[in-house]
Amino acid sequence: MKKIGIPRAISYYNNYPFYFGFFNKLGIEIILSDKTTTKTINDGCKYVVSDTCLPIKVYVGHLCNLLDKGCDTIFVPSIQSTGFKINNCSKIRGLPEIIRNIINKPFKMIEPTLDKTEGIGFYDFWYSVANDFEIYDKKLIKSAINEGWKIYNDFHNMTLKGVSYNKALKAALKRKPIEHNDDIIKPLSVVIMGHGYNLFDERISLNIIKKLEKMDVKVFTSLNVTPKEALESIKELGEVQYWANELELTGTSAYYMLKGEIDGIIALSAFGCGPDSLMVDEIAHHCKKAEVPLIHLTIDEQTGEAGFITRLEAFVDMLLRKKRNILTKKPIKIKEYIQNKNIDNIKKEKILAS
Amino acid sequence: MDSTEKLEKTKMENTIPTKDRVIAWPRMGRIDIPLKALLVSLGAKVIIPPPNSNKALEIGVRNSIEGICLPYKLNLANYIMSLEKGANTLMMFQAPGSCRLGNYTKMAQKTLKSMGYNFDMVIFDMYKSKMKQTLQAFWHVTHCINPWKYYKGFSLGFNKFFAIDTAERLLFYTRPRELNKGDAEKCYEKWLKITDETNSVWEAKKLKKQIINDFKKIPIDKNKNVPIIYLIGEFFVLLDPYTNQNIEKELGEMGVEVQRQIMFGDWLEHVLKPSIFYHKESHRERSVRYAEKYMKRAIGGECIETIGDTVFAAKHGVDGVIHISPFSCMPEIVAQNILPKVSKEEDIPVLSLVLDEQTGKAGYITRIEAFIDLVKRKKIKKINN
Repeated sequence: MKKIGIPRAISYYNNYPFYFGFFNKLGIEIILSDKTTTKTINDGCKYVVSDTCLPIKVYVGHLCNLLDKGCDTIFVPSIQSTGFKINNCSKIRGLPEIIRNIINKPFKMIEPTLDKTEGIGFYDFWYSVANDFEIYDKKLIKSAINEGWKIYNDFHNMTLKGVSYNKALKAALKRKPIEHNDDIIKPLSVVIMGHGYNLFDERISLNIIKKLEKMDVKVFTSLNVTPKEALESIKELGEVQYWANELELTGTSAYYMLKGEIDGIIALSAFGCGPDSLMVDEIAHHCKKAEVPLIHLTIDEQTGEAGFITRLEAFVDMLLRKKRNILTKKPIKIKEYIQNKNIDNIKKEKILAS
Repeated sequence: MDSTEKLEKTKMENTIPTKDRVIAWPRMGRIDIPLKALLVSLGAKVIIPPPNSNKALEIGVRNSIEGICLPYKLNLANYIMSLEKGANTLMMFQAPGSCRLGNYTKMAQKTLKSMGYNFDMVIFDMYKSKMKQTLQAFWHVTHCINPWKYYKGFSLGFNKFFAIDTAERLLFYTRPRELNKGDAEKCYEKWLKITDETNSVWEAKKLKKQIINDFKKIPIDKNKNVPIIYLIGEFFVLLDPYTNQNIEKELGEMGVEVQRQIMFGDWLEHVLKPSIFYHKESHRERSVRYAEKYMKRAIGGECIETIGDTVFAAKHGVDGVIHISPFSCMPEIVAQNILPKVSKEEDIPVLSLVLDEQTGKAGYITRIEAFIDLVKRKKIKKINN
């Protein structure tokens, strides 16, 4: 049976449901690498130069893990651009180039290119993957793509309803979508601005989502916003999309900022991430105008958990104090809140009690 | 459609009447001389920002975010310094889809506006509609409609570019071989000044020949065994002597011939000339051809040029390669990851240097000296075998 190895890094976190549907339909078995550990990061660090950003180091670590498992065909896509002149970061574009030149073990690399600026579209991308496995039947490939979309859409419909990442992924892969999600009301809500591969990797993000939920904070991520909504909100702020994979950061925070539902924004980015450094600044610029607090947390392979938690706690404390201040001093405008009267009362009680 | 129109408007602002315009642009190598010639012949007033220095860097660092790359910090400082001097129109090109360069102009615009300056920003793309957009930008800032002036300006500019490139190449060749130390440098400075002052197309066309003749007069030791080093890496850092700590001069004085692969004139000719008139194999095409074994796709920036040049150097008997890049430059980090393998397989020594605002010159020179020693020893070994 044909096998393909997929490292649990970079595009895995956003696109795995699609990969799962596509490869299973074609009859290709997927081998996943183990979850990220400190060993994974250390393995990755051995191969790349020190200036390389954390996600790439983690990617290389996962790739080594797959090779250790005896997997000899590995999926390393190069996603160059997702629209005309909307390019990705150089390191993601050049992922196969990096891997080819730093790892000296023999293995086959499946390296399709998606480059809409040069006219290499989505279907070409998947045809070239299938051709590498000597599958040339176009009908079969198309049905596999449709299968991929089906699972991908299931997954995203669930996350849009507010189901957490892990739950939604499990349900989508089992083809048993969760229809209903009980919404828990929490006094504070924040947006975490971060790439999927930083945010949903429990080792890299130091489990930030769970930590925040323990502090009674509701967390919104890029999975709660559709790309269309994200793009429209960016336009409303007067910005243009320049980077392909920065939409999940800027779009999400712009969407919630315009909606006015959130109390703060937490930006989580890897040290030395080029596009992030610009985009966080761009959002910070708009945050100042909208008076939304923003904290920028940088992570790298040496990030200490204690300092990380302290900063997070201080930020949440500040948000809580700010909100309490507003609620006790200013009378609440009845017109705006009349629809969510009950929810708001609960929120207010919770805040004043804590 | 709406958004694209809006985008075009932000690209070329028009709040200042044409006759009041004082134009400035960021420094990059010796771009100031040809660009000044072009704009002055179109009838515009220009201000040239002072050369990059510690003071400029300080201003740049103070007003930009932490994570951005070094070239932006210096560009911003250039803008601020020229605005302080009285400029009110800033020009810059951009290349969307390459790297962070595409974000520079918008960020600078925002930062400067929030600092309270009043100015027009004129941005032109260097991606696909090159010549048309460039002409449009220059028309926008000058409103000059006389085609003769355009012809004069562009041919003056181009000839000056070629003259400077020739002078630089000869300087690199002469400096390690000269008998009286400092001759080549003096000659180069002299011709830069003359190039700057030249004001007619006829004389500008003769510049190249005159420079070659003048450099021939410098007494040199032709039989000296000089190792050849290729200087490759990021565009801005290569061209800006402040940022790269004048590496060309340091290397020349160590008795090494430097060959820089990125020359401004060549690059500009390739970018601006319509493809029907451009018959040579461009630098990029050559790089793509040579880098094929290591890289199958261009990934933005000058990464593929870096790899291609290294392979080219190895195949053409060059003794070593020095690769310089600013800190956190994304394409060059990819190149840095690939270079060790190229170096091993093509058997060529490669030194990667990362520059940032805190680079100490002493440590930097030590590393270069050690590398040059290695290259020299390798060369002697080769000759003896």
